Formats: sequence, C-alpha cells, structure tokens
Amino acid sequence: MFTTGSKLFLGATALSTVSAIVFGASVGGSAGMLGTIGLISVAVVFAFIAGINLFTRDGNVSATEADVERNTAAAQAGVGRSMWPLAAALGSAGLVVGAVSKPVVFKVSFVILLAAAAEWMVQGFSERVSADPKYNEGIRKRLLHPLEFPLLAAVGAIVFIYSFSRIMLNIDKDAGRWVFMVIGAIITAAGFIFAAKRGMGKSTAAGIITVGALALVGVGIASAVSGQHPIEEHPEITSAVCLGTASEAQIEEIDTKASQSVAAKSNVLANVHLTSDEQLYALNTGIGYVQYHEIMVPQSNTVHVMFHNDSAEPRRLTIHLGTFKAADGTEGSEEADCTTAVEKGGTAFLTFKITKSQLASTTPYRLTVPGVEDQEIKLLVP
Amino acid sequence: MDRSKETVSTLGRMPSTRRHWSRAALFTGVGLLLAGCANNAPQDIFEPKGENAKKIDTLQRPVFYIAGIVALIVIGIVGYAMWKFRDRGQDIPEQSHGNPKLEIALTILPAIILAAISVPTVISVFELDKKTDTECIINVTGQQWWWEYDYATGQCGDVKIDKPIVTAGELVIPEKTNVLLRITSRDVIHSYWIPALNGKRDAVPGRLHTLRMQADQPGIYTGQCTEFCGLSHARMRQAAVALTTSDFQQWVDNQLKEYVAPEAGSLAAEGEAVFTANCSKCHQVNDLKNADGSPVLSDPDLYVVSGVAPNLSHLMNRTAFAGWTFDLLTEECRTALWTAKPADFGAMYLKGVTPECFNEVALRDWLRNPPAMKPMFVDPNNLSSTGGKYRGMPNLNLKPDQIDQLIAYLLGRN
Repeated sequence: MFTTGSKLFLGATALSTVSAIVFGASVGGSAGMLGTIGLISVAVVFAFIAGINLFTRDGNVSATEADVERNTAAAQAGVGRSMWPLAAALGSAGLVVGAVSKPVVFKVSFVILLAAAAEWMVQGFSERVSADPKYNEGIRKRLLHPLEFPLLAAVGAIVFIYSFSRIMLNIDKDAGRWVFMVIGAIITAAGFIFAAKRGMGKSTAAGIITVGALALVGVGIASAVSGQHPIEEHPEITSAVCLGTASEAQIEEIDTKASQSVAAKSNVLANVHLTSDEQLYALNTGIGYVQYHEIMVPQSNTVHVMFHNDSAEPRRLTIHLGTFKAADGTEGSEEADCTTAVEKGGTAFLTFKITKSQLASTTPYRLTVPGVEDQEIKLLVP
Repeated sequence: MDRSKETVSTLGRMPSTRRHWSRAALFTGVGLLLAGCANNAPQDIFEPKGENAKKIDTLQRPVFYIAGIVALIVIGIVGYAMWKFRDRGQDIPEQSHGNPKLEIALTILPAIILAAISVPTVISVFELDKKTDTECIINVTGQQWWWEYDYATGQCGDVKIDKPIVTAGELVIPEKTNVLLRITSRDVIHSYWIPALNGKRDAVPGRLHTLRMQADQPGIYTGQCTEFCGLSHARMRQAAVALTTSDFQQWVDNQLKEYVAPEAGSLAAEGEAVFTANCSKCHQVNDLKNADGSPVLSDPDLYVVSGVAPNLSHLMNRTAFAGWTFDLLTEECRTALWTAKPADFGAMYLKGVTPECFNEVALRDWLRNPPAMKPMFVDPNNLSSTGGKYRGMPNLNLKPDQIDQLIAYLLGRN
C-alpha cells in the first residue's frame, strides 16, 4: 500500500510530530511556542510530500513497460556540464567567510548561493523533462528567463546609476550641472543617430554602447576611489541662538544658512499665530475656533507646531525645553529650540519631543517669540 | 464487464455521496447562520451606539445587501454552469470569442452600481471627517501594547477641565458630545477602533490623525488595536466609557483630586515605599512625594522604548489593566457593570474597584511575573537592539510580601 518514498516521508512526519509534542511539553514560554509551531509546520510539510508520493506512487514506471523505462526523461543523460555547482561552492565558502568577517560578504554570498541553487535545480529538472534536449533547453529558458532578464537588467541599472552617482558626487557642484547636461546630450544624440541610421550594423551599435558603458563604469570607479567633493554643512540651531544669547553674526548665519527642511510627512499638533499686533495664540488641530494659550503635549512624543508670523518684523518661535539638575545636583542651563526667523506672512515648522514631566523642570515649558513681550503659550506635560 | 452491475453499483454510491455533501453544506450553513445570532458580541459592527457609527452602518448595510445579491447571482450562475455543463464525456461545444453586447452590459452595470454607491460613500466620508462641531478634544497615543489618553485643559462638552488628565486603557467621554480624538503613536503603527462608536483610525508615529467619537447613552464600548503591532498585538485592547454630563464631571473631579497618602504604618504605606523604590521609575502617581517632600517623578524614557508607562494615579477607577487585557473587577461585578441599564451605569462605574469587587488574583499574578501573562520583549539579557530599553513591563522579581504591600497600596489608587 505504501510506496518506498512515502514511507520515508511518513516516518519523518511521525518523527516531527513526536518532536513537536515533546518540545512543546518540555520547553515553556514563547520559545517553546515558536519551536512547537516550527516543528508542527515541518510535520505538515512532510505529510504533504508523503501524500504526493502516495498519489503519484513515487513516479514509478511499471516494470513491464520496458520502452517507457528506456525512453523516459529520467533515463536520459545530462546534456552538458554545469557551472552552478561551482557557483554554489563559491557561495557556501563566502557564507562561512562572511559569517566571521563582514555582513556584506555574507549577504552577497547568500544571494549567490540562492541563485546557484535555483539555476542548478531548474537545469537539473529541465534536462530530464523529455528525451529531446532542444525541448528541454526551451523549458529551462521558459522557467528562468522571466527571472534572469529582470534581475540582470536590475543589476545593470544599479551599476549604471551607482557609477553615475559617484561621478556626480566627485565633481564640483557647478561642474556637475554641465556634466549632467553633456552626458544627457550625448545619450540623446546617440539615440537620434541610432534611430536615423537604420542601416547601422547590430555589432556597431552594440560596440558603441559597450564602449560608452565601460567608460561610464570606469570613470565611476575612478571617482569612487577619489572620493566625494566637500559638502558645506549647515549650522545647527542652538539654545543660545533661540534664547538670544548668541552673537549677531551667529544668529544671522542661522537665519540665512540653517537647514530649512520641513518634515512634510508630519502634521501639526497646533498652529501658532503671531498676529499683526503681536498677540500670540494657538489653534489646536481639530478645534480650530478656540484660541488657546496653553497646549497639552503628550510626553515622549515627537510633535510639530506650525508658526505663522503676521507681524511686521521677522520673528522666530522659540520653545523653552526646561531646566534640569545635573546628576551631581548642580542646576543646568535652560534648553531651547526654535525656528529660523520668519518673514511677515511666512510659516515655519517646529518639531520637538519632551521626555520629562513639567514637574521635573525648574522653568516652565513654553513657546515664546523673542522680541515680543508678555506673550507665551504654556506647554502642559503632566 | 457487466455494465448493468456497474450502473447499479454507481447508483448505489451516489445517494451516499450526495448525502455526505448535503450534510456538510447544511452544517456549514447552519454554523454561519448561528454565528450571526451571537448576542454577546460587544464589538459587533452592526450594533452602532453613536452618531458616527450609525452613519457607517447606514452606508454599509445597503452596500452589504447589494454586494450579497450580486455575489448570490454570480455564484448561482457559475454553479449552474458548472453543474449543467460538467464533463460527461460529451463533445466539446462550438467555441466562440466574446459577446460584445454582453460584455458592454457587464461593464456598464457594475459601473452604475459603483457610481451609485460612491455618492453616499463620499458624503459619509466628509461627514465623518467633520471637525467644526468638536466639543472636546482628547489626545490618544498608542504604544506597545496599550493606549494612553491625555485630556487637554478647557471645555469638554459642558465640563471644564482645569488641569491636564492622563489615563490609560479606558477612554472616558461625556455622552451625546462630539469628542475629537487626536490619534498618534510613540513607536510602531497601531490602529484605534471602537466598533460601536466609529470606524478605525491608524495611529502613526509623527502624524496626528483625527477621529470623531460620540456615544448616544452611558455604557462601556470595547475595541482593540487593529494594526499588527508586535508580539502582544492581540492583547492591546481598549474601551470607551460614556457617562452623563454630571457623572463625567464627577469623573473629572476624581481624576484631579489631591493625592491621599496611606495611613502611616499600614500595609498600604509599606506598599507606597515599594512602589516608590520599584515602580515609580516608569509609572507616575501624581503628587506622590519622597521622604524629603520632593515629588516622585517617573522617568520612563530611560527604561522603556516608547518613553512612557501607564499613569497609575487612579488605577482603581478603571475596570481593566495591562493594555485593558486583564480585569480589575471580579466576573460578577464585571457582568453587573456591563449589563447595567444606562441610567444605572454611571453610578456603578464611578464606584471604581471596591474591595468586594477587586479581582486580586489577576493583579497578583501580574505583579509576580508580567511577561508570563502578556508576552513582551523584556528579557534583560536580550535588549541590545533597543539600547537596553524594554518593550513592556519586565519581571521585577518582587517578593510575596512586597506584592501584598503593593496590592494594598494600589487598591487605594481610586
């Protein structure tokens, strides 16, 4: 009743099931649960394979059908040598080396091993599909080309883009736009020529593209080795700037050069308005018709407020982030953050996170606008 | 071969096979039908208890019926075709390619149905997003694996809140009031859902999503996180409790009342010391003082990934703890509260957890070993990926007498 193959897998199913029961009973906690689930999964897989073996009677051919036995695909010799065992060996060795050296080696080796295993398996399968090698090769292509072509194209695109990015990072900012235009113009011109010269030979076109690609990759490698051009760093907004204790020059540099990036993916807890007569109030998101002078801020949560300046002068919104005692008990200085100076009619984002209760600070959490007296919005962090 | 015998044999088997399938279909159908009759289903989406949920219900019912009718028609036709034209060894019928009239009709008809459905859908979407009639705002913050509620100062319906209120697990709102929840997250994406009061809204770190809430009458309405958020996602539950205005005023007053220290020398006073030494690193009890009179301030940002832990100032005014997963009330008291008439609900709820109704077993088990009750990433030897911080409450290895003291202390946090 049971075939040889199904006996093997039924045995494995029984073993996995018993192992799952023993493991589940002896190891507690989440590790026990996960292990048991894993072993049950293995048992299910073995049972499934056993079922397939039973259903197909191990794929055996009747001993009486001698012709079938001779002509069956499994009886055919392999069509040629395969490079995939070599690649698999390389991947395996790389896994071992990567495990003790660099994670990137491990990851690349894993990909090589995976690719080699897939290719090898499909090749092995396709060579025995039928007794016709041509048909078998067609099967291999039909199975693997949908994977190979996109993957190779992706690898080619990555190499191309990476080389181009190294070049652009290496050259000067001003030269960059010229290089970008020239390369773009060359590619466009080449496209026109190829389109116009219909009689151009296949090999000529391939040769030109290959030379161009090699040149790009070569210059890209050289640029990568050379390194990237120096990048001018933006000054950071400091408490001194926000509290007005920094020098005029520092404040001006912040206002003209500091990062103006806005967390566009975020939305605001409140909109803070400075009116033309320099009154400060907040509109809480969701209840826009009440002017608030205190805002509830959830502790340890990154929140954003939008500052709207309708006063005549450029103004910045400053958040006072409290004053805390150091570990040795000495009083620290007040921490602050702020927007850059905002022109009349302008807006700016202020992002902050308060991790301690207001009771922990000796000075209150609040929003103020330097230069505007007697106006503040209290921040409540219970 | 004797064909007549085969025929008799086949006919003999058929009724048995048919009976088998008929029984299976009958049991499946009856099972599905009975499942729809469950009366103890507090998260039934077809039982709206507030204006917003009713809008969704008004929209979804006709859509459901139309979809059901379409499904029945399609399944019926497919089933009929499968049965009528099943392979009986007959010749393959004449093959044709397409039927333009039928295809045009089958394109236009669904388009008309979808266009018709889109009108009330879009209207409902805008109505559910309305904010101009907000009467109360509450910040709702999700973290692994519980919800925090911050009540801002100002008006909440007809009740004025003078000082901020922070609570966890149970959202308490005044009935018949348009409450706007401002939902966000401190760690991963969660989703807030109280089916009886409105649809779902994702809680996304760095973003603030709004959700209208309104309950028609006092009661307790349950929900759960509906975005997979890690190991204890299934144990991240929540409830909304609606109270009359006067009861809500009483609840607010209770939340803002001054801290009452346990009587010196009592078991609870010993529990206060245990709490200060162990629990207050993460859990805040408002106005709790050190021996020198300075406030005891929690600093969960140092220990917990999300940077917060539930405020326990009024733990015994809630009905459940640990992500609203374990009952603080005994089963009898819980059933009495959950089945209370709306007129009686507020008074029962505001009594909080009395000693007679206290489900001490659950809290005792929790204090003994929290991760055993609710899986969390709290193995002290496996915190490298979080910079040494926990995702939940670790086992504090409290001794039995410390647990007794803590329970006596926490029972007074009402």
